Amino acid sequence: MTFIRRFLGVVALAVSCTAAAEAPGVSRDEIVVGSIQDLSGPIALLGVPVRDGMLMRFEDANAAGGVHGRKLRLVVEDSGYDPKKAVLAARKLIQRDHVFAFLANLGTPVVMATMPIVVGAGRPHLFPFSPHESTYAPRHPLKFQMFAPYQDYMDAATRFMVQTRRYRQVCMLYQDDDYGLEVIKGVERALAALNQPLAAKTSYKRGATDLSSQIARLRGTGCDFVVLATVVRETVAAVAEARKIGWSVDMLVTASGYSAQTHELGGKTVEGLYGVSVLPHPYAEGASRPLADWIERYRKRFGAAPNVWSVMGYGAADLFVKAAERAGPELSVERFVAAMESLHTPRDFFGSPEYRFGPDNHLGNRHGRIAQIREGRWVILTDYLK
Amino acid sequence: MKGAVMPASGVVRWTAGVIGLVVLGALALRSLGLEYMLAQAAFVFTYAIAGLGVVLVVGQCGQIPLGQGALLGLGAYAETLLALRGVPAPVSLPLAIALGATGGWLASLPARRLGGLYFAMSTLAFALIVEEALVRWESLTGGAAGLAVPALALGSWSADTAAAQAALSLVALALAGFACRRWVASRLGRAWRAVREDEDAAAASGIDIGRAKMLAFVLGGGLAGLGGALYAHWIGFVSPEQFGLTLSFELLMLVFIGGARRLAGALWGALVVIAIPQAISLASEVLPPDLAAAVGLETLLFGAVVVAVVVLRPQGLAGRGSRSSG
Repeated sequence: MTFIRRFLGVVALAVSCTAAAEAPGVSRDEIVVGSIQDLSGPIALLGVPVRDGMLMRFEDANAAGGVHGRKLRLVVEDSGYDPKKAVLAARKLIQRDHVFAFLANLGTPVVMATMPIVVGAGRPHLFPFSPHESTYAPRHPLKFQMFAPYQDYMDAATRFMVQTRRYRQVCMLYQDDDYGLEVIKGVERALAALNQPLAAKTSYKRGATDLSSQIARLRGTGCDFVVLATVVRETVAAVAEARKIGWSVDMLVTASGYSAQTHELGGKTVEGLYGVSVLPHPYAEGASRPLADWIERYRKRFGAAPNVWSVMGYGAADLFVKAAERAGPELSVERFVAAMESLHTPRDFFGSPEYRFGPDNHLGNRHGRIAQIREGRWVILTDYLK
Repeated sequence: MKGAVMPASGVVRWTAGVIGLVVLGALALRSLGLEYMLAQAAFVFTYAIAGLGVVLVVGQCGQIPLGQGALLGLGAYAETLLALRGVPAPVSLPLAIALGATGGWLASLPARRLGGLYFAMSTLAFALIVEEALVRWESLTGGAAGLAVPALALGSWSADTAAAQAALSLVALALAGFACRRWVASRLGRAWRAVREDEDAAAASGIDIGRAKMLAFVLGGGLAGLGGALYAHWIGFVSPEQFGLTLSFELLMLVFIGGARRLAGALWGALVVIAIPQAISLASEVLPPDLAAAVGLETLLFGAVVVAVVVLRPQGLAGRGSRSSG
């Protein structure tokens, strides 16, 4: 009994100490931020550059003296896209590493499983990579999103394309998951506004490599414009299949297919493909001076060329740094949230959109731009479409 | 290796195991915090429940189920849909178990005509059908977008802390383990082992092979259903992709690491599958930052641990040399 009493006493003391401490993860000279990435699972190709982008922004901030004298430290956990591992990672980051906030967690199952734990522990849940609406709506004081939702930007992009190019038969090829469903909603909303039906839609299962039957079906329907809710490999497969059977229909892919890998893998076959960009790919060739410097520094630091995911990671960390600076030297969750809710950032050298948050608006951007693959690289054609 | 030697070595082994676990637990508790440890324990116990089902099918009955993840999915979805409609846990959990068991029965039907690898392939096909159905039946399952799961509630009390989740999982595991012990020691258990060793000989001894296999799948499915139902609450979000082939293979790996022929193997296997990746993640913190950041390092180390276990203990962690029994 004595032992049990002592044990309970120690536990109670530990709990009360934790409860008494202000702003977890914030000490006199450090701010600890957590992130759950996929570094070994099916979307590790995205997770690694996102992590590196965030690391680089924090290292830049630290080199410039930190945020109000505090250095930033990023603790990254690998979920391998497994929600069970993610739940444990979230608890570890909260309990052991005492992170101040969670930044850019990656993958819908991961985000959906961990978000209640994160906000339940009173930590800000910032800019996750998930199309799920619940990452920003209904408004929750601790949830913020910066990545434009598929529904919104695909609505604007489809309207723009149909209005300017007068397509009559709009069709869709979509991945059979939450990503595909979100895109369908956006495209259908755009067509409803234009009084046009969606002529045909057909799906594929994630990881499919043969899209011949889907493309044949869309061609049979007489589509003159195909919206692709695909990721890189399927984008290339869809366009290649269409061209193989001699079908030169216009195609528009979401930001998930807007990647340098699309033209690296697809080569000449993907020439002319349209895409939506929510952040531009950092091409070294023709880059402005600050962008060229950034690319060079990234290459030296991580031994690889940056891509659009690196820019997203850098951008997410950049918003964190700006909000933390704005929150002042007495950093607390309340002050940070208040700073986030008044944050308005201008465009930067990457060509990113303006991010504008408010007390009633925790989604920083809703817009994307139309781009096209010309001579083996994405060329931005429009400004951000409202 | 028979007779009087076993009990003595067994006691030593058990004592060493328990002491080892306590020391590991104390160290982990000290460095990790209570909540994190309990959350981990909840997953270990939950996976062990599903693992017990696989032990019955693989270790006792000698069949290879490649679709056990889908049965977990059936339990998870049944529990989620019922909980969302306000059905209390004492009612919804048995229904989730029943759906898992029904799934197990369906998956076992081809066993009357197929054997060995062909039957294994049919369970794989069953898993694919279930996953596809979960995606397509959008009006019920929410399709690929998934469903949020409320906390497990018993009356006005809800299991929303890691401690409550771990405690409930432990109780469920204890009950499941107790039931499994009885089945394994019964006439049915002997029939399973006879089928496992030699189907023709078992048939010649008057054992209904089809029935024995069917019951292994039904009971294994029920355990998977229970594991799935708890898993859904602990994760708080279900989507079809979580219950795909990866989970089925993870469960198979779990029992082979733990020891497919012994019930304790399910717990040992779950401990390795859940805790080792966490331990590796913690250990990698002491490595130089550049090495620790190397992509795939944790997967590589986990693979090495699994290979080491399989090579050093081919009968699994709970296995006893080459001898096998219930």
